[in-house]
Amino acid sequence: MDLPVLNIPETAKEGGCSASSCGSSDSQVNHLPDHIREKVQNHPCYSEDAHHYFARMHVAVAPACNIQCHYCNRKYDCANESRPGVVSELLTPEQAVKKTMAVAAKIPQMTVLGIAGPGDPLANPERTFETFRMLTRDAPDIKLCVSTNGLQLPESVDELAKANIDHVTITINTIDAEIGAKIYPWIFWKNRRIKGRKGAQILIDQQQKGLEMLVQRGILVKVNSVMIPGINDEHLAEVSRTVKSKGAFLHNVMPLIAEAEHGTFYGVMGQRGPTPDELMDLQERCSGDMNMMRHCRQCRADAVGLLGEDRGAEFTLDKIDAMEIDYASAMEMRRQVQEGIMADMESKRSTQQKKAKPAVPDGARPVLMAVATSGQGIINQHFGHAKEFQIYQASPEGVRFMSHRKTEQYCSGDSTCGDAESALAITVRSLAGCEAVLCSKIGYEPWEMLEEAGIVPNGEHAMESIEEAVMAVYREMLENGKVDETPAARRANAEM
Amino acid sequence: MALKIIESCVNCFACEPVCPSQAIFAAEPHFLIDPKKCTECEGAHAVPQCASICPIEGALLDSLGEAINPPGSLTGIPPEKMAQAMAELRSH
Repeated sequence: MDLPVLNIPETAKEGGCSASSCGSSDSQVNHLPDHIREKVQNHPCYSEDAHHYFARMHVAVAPACNIQCHYCNRKYDCANESRPGVVSELLTPEQAVKKTMAVAAKIPQMTVLGIAGPGDPLANPERTFETFRMLTRDAPDIKLCVSTNGLQLPESVDELAKANIDHVTITINTIDAEIGAKIYPWIFWKNRRIKGRKGAQILIDQQQKGLEMLVQRGILVKVNSVMIPGINDEHLAEVSRTVKSKGAFLHNVMPLIAEAEHGTFYGVMGQRGPTPDELMDLQERCSGDMNMMRHCRQCRADAVGLLGEDRGAEFTLDKIDAMEIDYASAMEMRRQVQEGIMADMESKRSTQQKKAKPAVPDGARPVLMAVATSGQGIINQHFGHAKEFQIYQASPEGVRFMSHRKTEQYCSGDSTCGDAESALAITVRSLAGCEAVLCSKIGYEPWEMLEEAGIVPNGEHAMESIEEAVMAVYREMLENGKVDETPAARRANAEM
Repeated sequence: MALKIIESCVNCFACEPVCPSQAIFAAEPHFLIDPKKCTECEGAHAVPQCASICPIEGALLDSLGEAINPPGSLTGIPPEKMAQAMAELRSH
């Protein structure tokens, strides 16, 4: 059953500066220099703001790889798995262009086409650059980007610049060959397979050289790093400083995904991934020096849609064949839709900048809250329908996006929900550390379980802006003395 | 004298462009080596190129039918450890 959305507080109805995005200017994009912000403001992977509105897709044209990573297994092609390196069907450049044009016609919010594998795009230069050439010709409004391990990067920089690529992501897990040897068992280099430290050193040198060359040419570089506890976790803050000093504009530290069933070295050998807390701690440690990306969903090499969703199944080759598409009017539609979104974002930004900092006492303890949203930056999702929660931090400095946490969906709306109980328990556990959950609606059972776990369920801010709602809840907690209370005390109170 | 690709090939394309003899071609259900063209890279490279980039252990055989990259040689996963993990998964 659903609880009705109760008594919306007067303050929230009146708006004004009860509203909280007052001071929420800590969005990472607002910190960027103007010329970079221009380039990334509609790129869902490079801008936290943009990922609420704009969609991207990857085309899987690049199967070959020139290195082996201990978190990757080239044998697995599972439709139900969502992680990098996994795809359902490999495409030729012609098929990739057709698919891109179809998606961009059906999803007018689409701004970006990336090539990210399933191998390494630059280890498949003909297929990768042929795809880019055709797309530049047929859909000049779509931004092109590429994600690489960096081994062939220095040799590819000219070609990338020629292909109008203005965003490149390099995966850099280490700058120390000793550590590299524990992550990369081998590379293929100058006609040989080179193992261990020696191979890792070559890879590291190529990555750093490639990064410098891209920056020299004015191509934006984001660095991805996989956080592997006990291997490179202590070292990544140094990586972050180094890549920033060389001109990377954004660093994305992602958690290792390692399960035995993936058949990867780390999965089989029992290497664990980081906990959400460990990941957030490391991101905080890096953030003093660097813009951090916190909204990455570690998507598949054939992902389609907004970052939190994957609409790939709507665009299989046979379905695309059956679509009738007027490309010219689709491009015009994209222009209109995207201009509308940009205007909307701009007006939100300027309202935010006009507002004073929230009247929150300095020194108040920051609080984490989870939010159920399906996009547009508003609280618009039922607790039970959320595939993930976005985690925000409220503090006297304002509201800040921190991370997202995936859930087990306990309510899929059909009769096959046999494991409702346990999936719900897992979801509640995944929200550890949060003190409130904001959603459009919530059922009675999860409500109770959340309260027992010391997390306050809140359905009072449905259809409101996330940042305003999070700040409103934070102020309410402050006014009621809840922020001074420790989570343990709150649990005790809830039981009384 | 020729190398051979067997059914564990995952069709990743990596070997095809590195072959100096254009002996490798895409086929169903997996890539194949034309034994008439394959030189095992003799005279061109110190080591066979396909076997030096192939990521799949056991997918390439030498002319004696032996795996050039035996289990554990590329991933570093000890074969007994892999067998144990797979057995545990099957029992669930």
